[in-house]
Amino acid sequence: MHKIVAAVCFAAAASISAVASAQVPNLAPGFTGLPKGSRVVMMPADIEIYSISAGGLPEPRADWTEAAQRNFRSTVTRRQGTLGLAMTQLAEKDADDFAEISALHTAIARSIAVHHFGPSSLNLPTKDGQLDWSLGDSTQALKKATGADYAVFSWVRDSHASAERQAAMVAIAVLSLGRAVPRGGQQTAYASLVELDTGRILWFNRFSRDSGNIKDEEAADETVDTLFKNFPVAK
Amino acid sequence: MKTLLAVVLVALLGACTTVATKKIASGENTIGERLQVNIEGPWNYISAPNMGPAQIWTMEGLPVDQLRIYSGIKDGEVIHDTRNSNLKSFSFRSNMQSDELVSMFEGMLTRGGSTFQLSKVEPSTFGGGKGVRFEYAMVTKEDNLPLTGVAFATVSNGELFALLYTAPRLGFFPRHQARVEQIARSAKILPTPAAPKY
Amino acid sequence: MNRRRFLRAGCGCSLGALPAFSMAQEPWQAPPRFVRPDTASDEGGLWAMMDREETKLRRSPFNLRDPQLQPYVQDIACRLGGDHCPDIRVYLVRTPFFNASMAPNGMMQVWSGLMLRVDNEAQLAAVLGHEVGHYLERHSIERLRSAKSSSAVGQFAGLFGVVGLIGAMGLVAGQYAYSRDNERDADRIGVLLMNRAGYDAAEAAKVWGNLLLEVNARPNGAARNPLFASHPASEEREATLRELAASLNGGVTNDDAWQQKTAPHRRQWLQEEVKRGQHEESIAFLTRASTRMHGKADYLWARGEVYRLRAGEGDLDSALKDFQAAAALGGEPPETHRGLGLVYRSTHRAAEARASFERYLQLAPEAADAPMVKNYIQELSV
Repeated sequence: MHKIVAAVCFAAAASISAVASAQVPNLAPGFTGLPKGSRVVMMPADIEIYSISAGGLPEPRADWTEAAQRNFRSTVTRRQGTLGLAMTQLAEKDADDFAEISALHTAIARSIAVHHFGPSSLNLPTKDGQLDWSLGDSTQALKKATGADYAVFSWVRDSHASAERQAAMVAIAVLSLGRAVPRGGQQTAYASLVELDTGRILWFNRFSRDSGNIKDEEAADETVDTLFKNFPVAK
Repeated sequence: MKTLLAVVLVALLGACTTVATKKIASGENTIGERLQVNIEGPWNYISAPNMGPAQIWTMEGLPVDQLRIYSGIKDGEVIHDTRNSNLKSFSFRSNMQSDELVSMFEGMLTRGGSTFQLSKVEPSTFGGGKGVRFEYAMVTKEDNLPLTGVAFATVSNGELFALLYTAPRLGFFPRHQARVEQIARSAKILPTPAAPKY
Repeated sequence: MNRRRFLRAGCGCSLGALPAFSMAQEPWQAPPRFVRPDTASDEGGLWAMMDREETKLRRSPFNLRDPQLQPYVQDIACRLGGDHCPDIRVYLVRTPFFNASMAPNGMMQVWSGLMLRVDNEAQLAAVLGHEVGHYLERHSIERLRSAKSSSAVGQFAGLFGVVGLIGAMGLVAGQYAYSRDNERDADRIGVLLMNRAGYDAAEAAKVWGNLLLEVNARPNGAARNPLFASHPASEEREATLRELAASLNGGVTNDDAWQQKTAPHRRQWLQEEVKRGQHEESIAFLTRASTRMHGKADYLWARGEVYRLRAGEGDLDSALKDFQAAAALGGEPPETHRGLGLVYRSTHRAAEARASFERYLQLAPEAADAPMVKNYIQELSV
């Protein structure tokens, strides 16, 4: 329930402060880009895909989620050449040792999503409008184990309307003479770049939009591209 | 952690104007009518309806760390938000001894089903009176993130004054602990109600 | 947030006929080992969902990764599973409720509340055998099919995962229990598997009899008791199991082995039991447990704590009696003396309180609350 509340709140926030969000920085103060050839480890993406039933209830779809995870990985593999970085993807089974760091990062990311990219009434004055979060030296263990200097974390939640739901939506639209436009599905995602030596979040991108359907390969490509569109690589 | 965040987000849906984040500036601050603290370095105070009787401050955001400050809680008062009535409720009683205060806070922190281990319980002064200080470790079932906490509590004229800080064990608790201890050391319980700033 | 899982049901695909279990005593045989189904099918989706829950559980701080206890319980499950042994993966979970479950992908959970309550290996085998029975008969897949709505399906699936809010679990488990036929089948198979693994099948009935004692102790009755919601106890069930066992002779119970293997965890589990705050249930359970061969002093200490915390009419006296009995037995937890000290203190018996607190500090100088207790001693000295 909490995640649904969060998703809807972001939608509300987006519509309220569409202009303001454009000015919220994605980069940590003083950071402009990674040096070429930086060693980056990509943590396994945390993805959940839901189907929205006719009644509007989201149901997790394990098969879609598995497809999405596979597509995400292969898209990253195909794209990483263009980033000019030495990127490796951490396998799911190797991630066991870093469960605490991942859980910690998830908590930070939620904080950033709510208090930095969220409604301005939730901004933290001490952060002064900056992307100023750090995991501290807790990430050095990850650096030691993988040999990377940076890590990328990503998180995707995608829900889209089942056929029944789509039919119901059409019915609602028709019956209300076009006034009621129920949400058909939503995709919320974030990605972050962490400097493993210091634990600093150097870059954070998040978006929330209508469903992206990333169980399909093409859609996965598009989602990954959107998520990493302004990824900070030095030219 | 998540319950408080959910409360805030639901409040936002209802009426954005009732959720506010204020900067708590360095220096003297009064919480409620009788608790005065002197802080070094600013904090963030988040307020929303139905968050319970404690004032909640944070450095990194509610999903990460929470400083709960209780000022003048009366006999019989419930010490947490009342959103989830399925869970057991915890109230303060004026005649509570230190070990009972600790149990009460432990119960509140673990309402949602978390592990909890006390790592230290010792007598301490707080607010100028005799009280208890305790340290704890917990893991919430939802986040699976190990947390560390430190707390101070005292009963003055039958009212509860307390301070609890919980943050992730990795990185964050060590980072902010010293400032929390400093806030606790600076705490004064005023004999008569002062004009509240918040 | 509680990770509720839903799965869209009703794809209409067929599993093929399930082996029928008749009342006629044909020797029941386990099916051959299962093959992982296609992800896109209902069952495959559930399997994949379970895999991900399993990953979370494996990484969870609630996973009790004890190098002695886990292999020991794994071995018991393995012997019950027979040919299916390689597919069974046992996870011990720190949660003070009575539950064991087995997901369609072979992941088995055994909760500490269950391990605390069984008296011996045979009783554990009865419960695990019952779960293996559900697994071998694929009852969870049937349950999926018969669920009234997709949301019901998902909530059920979530039961196999990492525990969410305890309060909600009881509700869901009660609502979506296995059918009575499935429960009866699992009981029968469980008893058979126990017997084949060399355990005394008569112990199965005792498990439920013991639970009933606790359930009936609760002031407002057994209604929606989260402690046992996933394994409803009843006189009927106890009687049926006794009947089933009547024709299966022999077998061991292994009380000693079980109680010794679990001894290193007993105090931790008892502390968590006491913290549940369900005084009447705890007293009923601890009264029974204090008759066990091993650990008497621990159970008496725990019961004393419950009386002390309940603090009803006459409870402080009962607490004193239990603490003193534990101390008399020897090997009592140091907290016994802290408990005594707290009761003496609240009844204004200062000298006795001081003596007890001092004994506590002697036995546990590094205790977390040692500084607090030292302070109590000082206060009582003026």
